[in-house]
Order: sequence, then C-alpha cells, then structure tokens
Amino acid sequence: MAFQDEQLLAQTRRYFFRDCGVGLGRIALGSLLARSSGAAPANPMAPKKPHFEPKAKAVIYLFMAGGPSQLDMFVHKPVLDKLSGQAPPESLMKGKRFAFMERMAHQKMLGSPWKFSQHGQSGAWISELLPNTAVIADDIAIVNTMRTENFNHAPAKIFAHTGSVIAGRPSIGSWITYGLGSESENLPGFVALQSGPRGPRNGPLIWGSGFLPSAYQGVPFLPGSEPVFNLQSRPGVSRRRQERTVKAIRALNELRFSATGDDEILTRIASYETAFRMQTSGPELMNLAGESKETLDLYGAQPGGNSFANNALLARRLVERGVRCVQVYHTDWDHHTGIQDSLPKRCREIDRASSALVQDLKRRGLLKDTLVIWGGEFGRTPISDGEIGATIGRNHHIEAYSTWLAGGGVQGGQVIGESDDIGFSPVEDEVQVHDLHATILHLFGLDHTRLTYRFQGRDFRLTDVGGRVVKRLLA
Amino acid sequence: MSWAWGIVWPALLLTPALAAQQTDLFERDVKPLITANCLGCHNRKIRMSGLSLASRQDAMAGGKRGPVLVPGRPAESRLLKVLRHQDAVKMPPGRMLAAGEIDRFERWIAGGVVWPEEAARAAPKPNHWSFKTPKKPPLPPVKNTAWPRSPVDRFILARLEKEGIAPSPEAPKTTLIRRAYLDLIGLLPSPEQVRAFLDDTRSDAWERVIDGLLASPHYGERWGRRWLDYARYADSDAGSRDEPRQIWRYRDWVIHALNRDLPFDRFVLEQLAGDLLPQPTDDQLIATGFHRNSVLQIEAGTDREQYRVEAVFDRVDTTGTVFLGLSVGCARCHDHKYDPITHREYYRLFAFFNTSDEWGNDRPRYNARLHNLHQVHAPLLEFASPEEIRRRDQLVDRVLKLEDELEKIRRESGRRTGDPRAKALDEEIKTLIKQVPRFESSMIMRELPQRRDTHVFLGGDFLSQGERVDPGTPSFLHPFPGGASATRLDLARWLVDPENPLLARVTVNRIWQEYFGRGIVETENDFGTQAAPPTHPELLDWLSVTFVESGWSRKAIHRLITTSAAYRQSSHARRDLQEKDPRNYLLARQSRLRLDAEIVRDAALSASGLLAPRVGGPSMFPPQPAAAMQASQVKKTWTASTAPDRYRRGMYTFFWRVTPHPSLVVFDAPNSMTACTRRTRSNTPLQALAMLNELAFHEFAQGMAERLVKEIPAGGEPRMRRAFELCLSRQPDVSELERLRELLAAERDDLESRPEDAEKLVRADPSAGAHAIELAVWTALSRVLLNTDEFMTRE
Repeated sequence: MAFQDEQLLAQTRRYFFRDCGVGLGRIALGSLLARSSGAAPANPMAPKKPHFEPKAKAVIYLFMAGGPSQLDMFVHKPVLDKLSGQAPPESLMKGKRFAFMERMAHQKMLGSPWKFSQHGQSGAWISELLPNTAVIADDIAIVNTMRTENFNHAPAKIFAHTGSVIAGRPSIGSWITYGLGSESENLPGFVALQSGPRGPRNGPLIWGSGFLPSAYQGVPFLPGSEPVFNLQSRPGVSRRRQERTVKAIRALNELRFSATGDDEILTRIASYETAFRMQTSGPELMNLAGESKETLDLYGAQPGGNSFANNALLARRLVERGVRCVQVYHTDWDHHTGIQDSLPKRCREIDRASSALVQDLKRRGLLKDTLVIWGGEFGRTPISDGEIGATIGRNHHIEAYSTWLAGGGVQGGQVIGESDDIGFSPVEDEVQVHDLHATILHLFGLDHTRLTYRFQGRDFRLTDVGGRVVKRLLA
Repeated sequence: MSWAWGIVWPALLLTPALAAQQTDLFERDVKPLITANCLGCHNRKIRMSGLSLASRQDAMAGGKRGPVLVPGRPAESRLLKVLRHQDAVKMPPGRMLAAGEIDRFERWIAGGVVWPEEAARAAPKPNHWSFKTPKKPPLPPVKNTAWPRSPVDRFILARLEKEGIAPSPEAPKTTLIRRAYLDLIGLLPSPEQVRAFLDDTRSDAWERVIDGLLASPHYGERWGRRWLDYARYADSDAGSRDEPRQIWRYRDWVIHALNRDLPFDRFVLEQLAGDLLPQPTDDQLIATGFHRNSVLQIEAGTDREQYRVEAVFDRVDTTGTVFLGLSVGCARCHDHKYDPITHREYYRLFAFFNTSDEWGNDRPRYNARLHNLHQVHAPLLEFASPEEIRRRDQLVDRVLKLEDELEKIRRESGRRTGDPRAKALDEEIKTLIKQVPRFESSMIMRELPQRRDTHVFLGGDFLSQGERVDPGTPSFLHPFPGGASATRLDLARWLVDPENPLLARVTVNRIWQEYFGRGIVETENDFGTQAAPPTHPELLDWLSVTFVESGWSRKAIHRLITTSAAYRQSSHARRDLQEKDPRNYLLARQSRLRLDAEIVRDAALSASGLLAPRVGGPSMFPPQPAAAMQASQVKKTWTASTAPDRYRRGMYTFFWRVTPHPSLVVFDAPNSMTACTRRTRSNTPLQALAMLNELAFHEFAQGMAERLVKEIPAGGEPRMRRAFELCLSRQPDVSELERLRELLAAERDDLESRPEDAEKLVRADPSAGAHAIELAVWTALSRVLLNTDEFMTRE
C-alpha cells in the first residue's frame, strides 16, 4: 500500500465521518458539514491501519549527537587495552578513510580507561560510566555492529534520521506519522526535544518532513510552560473567545475548501485545531510538578529546568498522551580531545534518565508498545585522535558503533554483533542504518518496501534501495 | 523528423547531427525514466534478475533471461515487451508506464540505443541539454488560437493540446488583482484599487495594472527579498557570539537595483566584482556585500584560517548555485559524482575568491569589551572622514595594546584582584573605549595587495594542500579567456557572457517558479545531469534567449509571464486533472501558494492600514515573544521598535542568524546560512499559534478594527463587506456573511457581559474614538479574517 494523497484524503474523510469527535472541542460539526456541500475536512493525522499487526505504537529516539564512544561504554576489547599506546597494524590503516584524516596518520591505539563488567542474564558488557543502564541490561538489546556511510557529523546525522546523506528527505518520525497518523488530538504527532550545550546541527532538517506533506514534520518543544512560542492567548482572549474564533476560521476555511478543492486548506484546518488544543495540553504536558517525587528522582528530573532528564520524562508524558514519535536530542558527544572528562559528564547527564525511562515505561505497562532507541550518528575510533597524554580523545568511526533498543516488540537482554579484537570492523552481524530503519518500521507494522511516497516521478522510501529487518531484534 | 521510425540505424553509422538528436532523446526523455523506474533494482549492486541498466554496456549484456535490447530493432527488444506488459515479466512491478513514456523507449531503441556516457567520453563537452547555449525555438502552433495572450502561452497550450487537456478558465478579476499585487509587490490591493480594476473596461486594463505594479517601489522589495534568499543576507554573523553586522545598505542596493531594472548582467557583475571596476562608486562597492554575507565564526581559540577558508567555500558554492544552478560544492572533496566538475576545477574557482581581504590570522584579535567589530568585519565602506577613521584606529590600537599589558600584569600577579597597576590600566581602558566612535558602514569586498596562492585541498581539508592552481572555470562550459592573473571581475564577465548556457536559464526558471510554485526545471538549484527534466524545454529556452535579447530585463520577463493566459488561470482543483496531472506539471491551472513569511506580515499590515511604506533603511524590531532570544550564547535584548518602524515590512526585520524572529521561522523563511533558492511551504499548528496569539498580529487586528469603525461609521453589513474586501479583495457570499454575522452577535453578547475583556482587547489609546466594546467586536472579526487560509494564500 502506498499512501498517495488521494488515498489519504479518502481515508481521512472516512475517519472524519465515522468519528466526528476529531473536531474542535467536540463542536457541532454536523451543521457545518451540512453547509459545506458535502466536502468534509480531513485530518492528515487521523490514525491509519498499518500493513500488518504492529508491536510498537510509539517511539522515543534518544539521540546522542556527536558520536558517543562505543569503546568506552558497550564494547569491551581487552586486546585493544593491551595494545594501547602502540601503532596500529599497517594492514588496518591501509585504504581507510577517517574524518580529519591528516591527524590520523601517526596515531596510536587507545584502550579504554574505564572498567567494564558483565550485566544481566545476557552478560552484556557495560562500562562503569553507565551504572544505571547496566540495571536495565535485560530489557535492552545492544547492537555493537552498527554501520553508517559518512564520517562527518552533518551528513551522518541527516542519514541517521532520513536514510539519505543529502538533506531534505523525510525523517523517520515523519514517515511513521505519515504511515500511521497519530493518536494524539491535542499535540503534534511528532515532537522533538533538545538538551545539551549546543543546538543540533542541521536543526529543523533532522525532524523535517522533506517531500511528505508538511503536517508530518516534527515540532520542536522548548523548555518551560510555553513549549512553543505564542502558546498563550492575548489578554482579553478568553478560552471561549479563542474557541469561537477558531470555529469561525474553520467555517470560512471549509467554505473556501468547497470552492477551491485545495487539500492544503484541510491541513490548515487541522493545524488550527491542533494549535487550539495545544494551548491547554501544552502547559499541562510541560508541568512536571504533578509527577511524584519518586518518579522525578528516578529520572533525576527537576521541574522548571531544561535537561535530558526532564526531556526523557517529558517523552514518557508525550507518549502517554498518544504522541507517535518523540525525538530526544542530547548534544556534545564529539570527543576528539578531553574524552576523559567530557564522556563521564555526558554519561552522568543521560545514564540515569535513559534507564529511568525504560523502567518507568515498563512499570506503567507502556514499554511493550513503546520502542525506545538510544544511539548517535556514529561511534569513535579505537585509535587515538592526537597524542596520548594528559588529554585523550577519539576520532569519528563509522564501521562498528553501538545502539540499543528496548520495548515495542524488541527482544531485550541480548547483545548483537561482534567486531574484531580492537573493535574496528564487524566480524558478524553488521547492522546498517537502513536495516535499523527497516526494523523500526517493521515494529510499527509497516513494510519498509511498501511505505512509499511518489515524488519527482519516483517512489521514495525511508530505506532507499536497501534495508533488511534484523530478525534477531524481534521478540 | 529526419530520423524515421523503425529504420535501422546502427549507432556507428549515425551522422553527428542524428547522434546529437539521439543523445538528447536519451538524456531528456529516456534516462530519467530509467533512473526513476528501473535503477532501483537494476543497478550494479542489486542486479535484479542479473540485469543492470547502469550503462550501455550493462544493458546490452542483458540479464539471466538473455538480452533485452537490440539496437535499431524495437520489435526484437524484449525490454519493450516487458514495459508493455506483453511478456511474462511485467515491469515496473505492479504498474505500467504511460504509453508516451514507452514510446520514448521505442524511439530510442530504433535510433540505435545511443547512451550519453559514451557520447560524453567521445565529445569534448558532455552532451547534457543545459550545458549547451540555448537557441530561440519558434513558437509552437496551437489549435485554440483564441487562448494565448502572451508568447509564453503557445508553449503551455501546445503541450496541453498534445495531452488532450483543456486549460482552466480565467480566475475572477478579484482573484487576479490580488494575485498580481501579491506576486509583484507583496502587498494587498486596497478595496479602491480593486474597484478601479473591476470598473476598468479598457482592453488593456490588466496590462495597466501590471505596468503600474512593476513601476511601484515595492516591486524591488518583493523581488529583492527573494534575491536576499540567494545572497544568504542576515544582520549577524552566526558565530558563537552571533555578533551583529552592518550590511543593510546592501539590501537597499538590491531593492533599488531591481526598481530601476538594472540589467541582470550588470546586476551580477557589480555584486561579484563592483570593487574591481574602474573608480567604483559607493553603490558599486556596497553591491559587493553579496559575498560578504557569509557566516563568520569569531571565537577564541579557533584557527581563523579555517573559518576564512569556510567563507571562501561558501562563496564558491553560492556562486555555483546562484549563477550556474550547479552543485559545484560537491567537488570540494573529490571530483563531482555526476557533473563534469573536477576536484581541481573546484579549486580554480576557489582561487578567484581566495585573494580577498578577510578576517583572518593577520588581523588584531577580537576584543569583546572593545567590540572592535569594524576590524573583524573589514573591509568596510565607512561613512566617515579619513581623519575620523585614522583617529578611531589609533584609539583602538591603543586599547588593544593596553589590554595586552593588563593581561600581562594579571598573569604576573597570579590574577590576584586589587593590583593597583591593573586597576589603573583598567580604568584607562574603560575611558578610552568610551571615546571610540562608531561609524555607519557597509561590508564590502576588497582584494589583498599581495595575492594568496591557491592549492587543491585534498579531501576538502584546508590542512592538506595539494597542487597549486590558477584561477579558472570548469572546462566543460564556455571558454574562459582569463589567464593566471584573472580576477573576480573576469569571472563575473565570464558568468554574464551570453554564451553561458546556464545563467539565463537558471534565472528565468527561478522567476517562473515564483509564479507557478515550481520551476520549468523543478530542481531549481541543480541543472546538472541529475536535474529534473524540464517540463517545457522549449519554453525555458525561449524565455532565456528573450531575457538576454531584452537587455537582461527582469521586468520584461515578469511582464511576459504575468500578462499570459497561463498565469491568469483559475487555481481551483479539477477532478480531471487529479487523474491526468495531479501535481500540475503541465499547468492546466494556477496553484494556490501560501505567502512567504515576510509577506504574511506585509499582507496583514496592508489590511490593517498600519503599514509604514518607507522603502529601505536599517533593520527594525517588530515585537516578538520574550523567550525568543534565549537560545543564543550571548544574551541579546530585543527592544521592539515603536511606530512607524514597528509597522514596516517583514523584510526589514532584524535577522539574528542564531535566533531569528520566531514568526519568520515558522513560516519557512530561510535560515540565511547558505544560499536558498526555493523556500518550502509548510503548514503547521505553530503558524496558527503565531497568527492567533502573537502581539504583532493582534495589533494588526486592532488596527484593522479601528480602520473599519472609522471608515464605515454605519457598521453592520457594509462594514463586514469592507472587512472582507480589506483582507481578501473580494465580496463575501451569503454563507460567509452569515457566518460573520453569527460571530459578531456572539462576540457582542459576550463582551457586553464582560466589558473588562473589551478593554484588554483594544489598544490603550485607539485612534478611532469609538466605544471599547464596538472596537473589540470588530477586532474579533478582523482576527478571524486575518487567520483564514485564503488570507495567507495567493490564489
């Protein structure tokens, strides 16, 4: 099934007729419909049927921007530790390309300064930097042989989110909401949350809808009671007045739709209704004060601030409210130097909350249909970036990095993929980015080869011409 | 046609002319089909069923089931049977190509399976349509000779007639005049202007409207803003501090250049190399601001050479995108994957821009306290006497020297506070800084007295220098006459050479794109071999040649397009087109296009009567949410301008690159980091929130209500009609009027029971001396109209 516009329109119309509750504050739509010569407004976010029975209903992607070091967190290589400080074997370096190539010519192997131990029934190796992640070892599936295509941040990030290194294609969240709609009437179907010292590179492009209709693009939320600008009405505009205004706008828009037949007007109607509902649901969503102290402590969240912990908790609250896709960005994992100080700091920022999110979803019965993913656009080299001295660091590495998944139909408690003794290249179970994307869609009941969109004469898909579902990840 | 169907033409026996035709056929008509429909599976990697269609050699080798192509013999070529679903194998899976598309394959096979990669290897120039200088084609014949109003229409109609599609009827006159105003000047017509047009029965009434708009000073604003998208214009650096810069005079230059219809070749020349013209005027220097709009990173501890190089990269890439429609940036690290631009040629282009004076390691350091931006941003055209500038420079040098001494003392004293020497120095510096005058200026280009050598950067890395290169242009394009000492001026002259196959095409295509929502070539920033094939290739060439013949007059092109019947069509959806041309490539109708970010504001300013129409001048600060400046590293204040600046057009909004005005962002204004040649048009709840709740838009509704109350004292239906005309340039129909009446009644009831709301809804000192409730009721109605989809759309 390819969701072409026509089909989408027909489906959303059917949905609308079946469930008129989609309208603003349950206003009497019957009379409006009677007046607008049979042309019914569509809601592009109306829930749609997947290709087959889904396991996941929502996804929270904890994205660690900059390239977290798998070799200091999930991949234990005693041989590398032993060779630390020595020149890498020539056979290894031959024909390899790195970012900052010129700096890599004379560098030495770099073992991990952190202790590893095994956790959970699977015996997964997790370093001392992630004590809380270790607690959920049996809930997560760690993939240690992720592979991407580009070793520069911007293209690699675009690739991780859109399946293309060229900016401008739809992101995963856009594809999923395009395929399935959203169950949230009061919030956008796809939300992006950001924390960390710097804004994400490429900004809106990594949650953009590309050539898909713009209703499927991710909406960035800001910290505070007004997560998006202009959420509060102006003084004198009571809730009732705002409702009356939006209702009148809708009526005029419907009349214009019957005159012109332009689907964009339907999107505009949906936008205004979502906006109106967001005015109530937004502040309520952002207010963490209602969470128990125990829950706040579990995450390490503090009402009022902006942090990864708050965003992880917000992600749960969004999913609870029916939001389909939440991207949580945390920046500054690009540790060319100073990894000995920066990495523990980043880990402290995310470890407790990432673990808390999985535990919290689990105890609320949400984990079984909420997919949680943790990972970055690539990993880091087993070879030092710069002299090994008081400060150490690692370069970008695209051949074998780590990502973990939990919930939403993923078989937890396993480690997938084995790399060579120094963690440079996979020796089995390489998982490419397209494979990860195919698997994510599969968990949502979507066949990645059938979720297509016709653009410029071609049927595009998230996985381009690649992608295979990683069967071992499925529960 | 000189080559006949079904006749066997072995490829080797083709005459050069026929080979060229066949190559065109393949390039334009067949290859895009293969790419779109076949290559996904039949590429070299996947080779579904053993078949790859990635090259002639691959295709001729056939697949597991044997050969698929017999050159010159379509009937024996299995590919055609498969495409026609006359074979056990039916391709593409699950659907059949259009008959016309399959016919192209047939013609191509009949012509001997000419494959352009081979032609490219044999010929000195790649045989891609856009790399050949356009020739003016004859106007095609049409059956319906009554329809065309402009030569443009002949091309549109000929194609529609070929497909058996009728064009749409003309849009109502009220739609037409609103369309023309928004497209040409980005403002709404007043109800009086609409009325005058409706009442004008002269046969050239429309042409008079168009000519009037082209002569309006606001034309330069509307189309200038589009050029500023290409120029990545902004009022700040985008560095970690996002320092402000003074370059609004460049914006003014663009506006005025458009208004006087400065010939486009001259327009390009002055922006790229105005400083190298003999005795350049201030205006010509200001024009070079085009390439000073690059992002600039001012940050402690960075290698300034790296950021200088980044700015040069940006200039090369922008030059390629804007003037050639080529993704030359792809050749920064290696040879271009698709287009014949080599890695080395990229750096020959780089050499033109590598000789400019620029913030680099040879400049004094940036001092946050002194804020010596004039040195960071130099070269500048400063509006001060040489004596004033000399005095200022002396003061600044003195401050920097004292800062060095202060730093030395602090280091020696172990950063203890209270060192009397440090204290005294600090006081002296503070006093001096207060005396440093700040002059009005504009950032410009200037060559270094001593040129820098340019080397190829291996892998695009500025630290890995390869071969030294001289300035030059890609060899597959028209010849470049300059030698080793060629300058930006030579580059500019080469770009505007009428032999350049790309400049005119790329430019008219982008103009076309604004009027129809899509270019004749959809990939407006890529005319290379991966370009989308033109929907109307002859029209593109006709317009391009006409553009050059007109003396590069953009107004002439605007006039040709806006006076056409194609432009004047209705934008309403048509059921028959849903089947035949759902994306409207053939232009059997107009398109409804959401207004640009700035123009949404401008339209509301027009309707409200608040518009301050001053053209040009420094940027202003319309109100914005308080949190909007939070994301920047260095906290900045945003003090909203007061009237009249508060009500200037959106394009004058001060643009901080790191924290742009939120309402510009939600309506898809470009981020100004790199050249943007096509804006996206999203449609999101955030736009609704801005329109409903932002202070600026609320003020527009208040202004409109005051205007309504003043202009139509009687109130009631005439006032509703006036409101509708102000926003939508047309009369409401019965249902619309009834809906507004309901709203007014409900609002009046509500406000009479809660008069305190009315006080909050209206301005503290409304210009119309009416009762607050009356004003509040009409503010509510104005808000509704300003928020309709139709209001923010050009229909």
